[in-house]
Amino acid sequence: MFGLGKPKPVTEREAEGEIERVYHEIKQVMRVTGINLNFRTWAGYENFFPAMWDAMRPNAETRRFEDAADRIRAEAVRATEHLGKLDAATSLRLGESQSYQIRRALDLYHYINPKLLVFTAAVSLALDGERTGSETESVELIERGAPAQMYPMEMVAEEPEDTRTQELFDDIKKTLSLSSINSDYRTLALWSDYLAAGWKRLKPITESEEYKQASEHLRLKARDLARTLPYSVPLSRERVEELGEDADEIIETTWKFERILSSLIHNIALFELDWRTPDTLEESPFPVAARRDMGIGQGGAR
Amino acid sequence: MNWRDYQSTQRVAEVGERFVSYADEGAGDPVVLIHGIPTWGYLWHRLIPALAKQGRVFAPDLVGFGYSDKSDCFDRSIARQAEMIDAWMEKVGIERADIVGHDIGGGVALRLATLFPHRVTKLCVMNTVCYDSWPFEVMLQLGHPETRRKVSAPAATTMLKQALKQGFATSPDDEILEGLLVPYSTEVGKLSLVRNAAALNTNLTMEITQLLPRLVAPTLILWGEDDVFQPIKYGGRLAWDTPQARLVRIEGARHFVMLDRPEEIAEHVSAFLERE
Repeated sequence: MFGLGKPKPVTEREAEGEIERVYHEIKQVMRVTGINLNFRTWAGYENFFPAMWDAMRPNAETRRFEDAADRIRAEAVRATEHLGKLDAATSLRLGESQSYQIRRALDLYHYINPKLLVFTAAVSLALDGERTGSETESVELIERGAPAQMYPMEMVAEEPEDTRTQELFDDIKKTLSLSSINSDYRTLALWSDYLAAGWKRLKPITESEEYKQASEHLRLKARDLARTLPYSVPLSRERVEELGEDADEIIETTWKFERILSSLIHNIALFELDWRTPDTLEESPFPVAARRDMGIGQGGAR
Repeated sequence: MNWRDYQSTQRVAEVGERFVSYADEGAGDPVVLIHGIPTWGYLWHRLIPALAKQGRVFAPDLVGFGYSDKSDCFDRSIARQAEMIDAWMEKVGIERADIVGHDIGGGVALRLATLFPHRVTKLCVMNTVCYDSWPFEVMLQLGHPETRRKVSAPAATTMLKQALKQGFATSPDDEILEGLLVPYSTEVGKLSLVRNAAALNTNLTMEITQLLPRLVAPTLILWGEDDVFQPIKYGGRLAWDTPQARLVRIEGARHFVMLDRPEEIAEHVSAFLERE
């Protein structure tokens, strides 16, 4: 995906100027403790990234966006139920704290990935020239800020010193045709035995036809839901070219993230199913309240 | 015990919006061991087996440290840490305990003993922060907000390894150093440590100075005489100000007395905590 000449993803530590501004807003608006790989990758296109975010932010703050992600999550859980169990922790000697933290980490991605998919689908639609959003009536906004109990997006290095983890990442990348390893796997690699055991069971599942169909179905579902977002997304191929960016490359990257995310949502749901019931998993791990009307000047008008 | 094995024994408790990971070994009267910066509960791994023979030993990772909650955006001052330990004790059902603290964990222990005296049966502090003995230079650099951006996690780990070596009288093996710093080897871990360092505040030990003469818990002050981080003169002052306290100088030891001299320290602490 990120071949010769393509920009390098921008880490949170490296972010400056507009990218730093956008990263802060993403964490507040998307209600998440860190910046996922798709945003880090888009940030490599320094003119496109702020323009894309400013175009999408009004939708990302709405109840309808949150509801769309909730529907994606629920659908993925129901599809995943039939794909098999990972039993990743069964053979391991995980401590009470380790198990607790794994569950918290899974909840983080179980929450954010469906939002990322709807977001990415909406960007894809806009870049494809499809007009979305035509809301004129009032739209409910949701509260900003990562939930206090959300696990931090802690990750091992993308190129870990530990040979075993590096080999595991290489296998995941090869199997799933990834050029960079997603945040999810880098977080789960904090408990490398757990990730290794889970991946061993997950790998054959990802190669099944049922899994591929479920992922494709979810991708299309996300596009349908993105079409129902309230606001139009002022973004297009022409706009990207005006910004001096390589539109083909950005469209291809965005499209690939749609595919990656639709699979990743199932993968995390499979890990989650070892710990929780489908009924529990269908619900958002971090339900959000409506934003209180604070009047003018509370930072919502950018 | 290596850090991985230690980590796999840790239990967890939710305390308000945060979670606290902690070791829980042995049975009997509770003893709570509180680590300092930049370490975590693993600091005590050589002391726990000896103390667990005579009581139930708890070693919580302070919030923001080790494998406790390392989210951003909360207060990590020793004042807040003392409140968190109080709330954590309530959560895990410890009414009162013998409290043992090292470095800023000693600062937390001193605040518990002076401000939450109903929680403390006996108090033992080792090379503790007190008065204006802290923070030392490396921690001030670490706590600068720009460290987050300017220093990568691997670079911070390398810097801290070098600094920590000065805290040992004997040359520590790599496994110990790696184990003490491993929770801070990721960018999130490093950021958490930067926040912890930024919370180091002399005023929080200065403000309890007037309470020390009224500290009622029997107190043992252990001090590695050659500590370059927390000079022993502060141990002398603390013992003088605290009528219930006794200072024991550990000759030839530095800051990490429980790792430099595990058997000797275990003997001192065990003898002090022994029930009459």
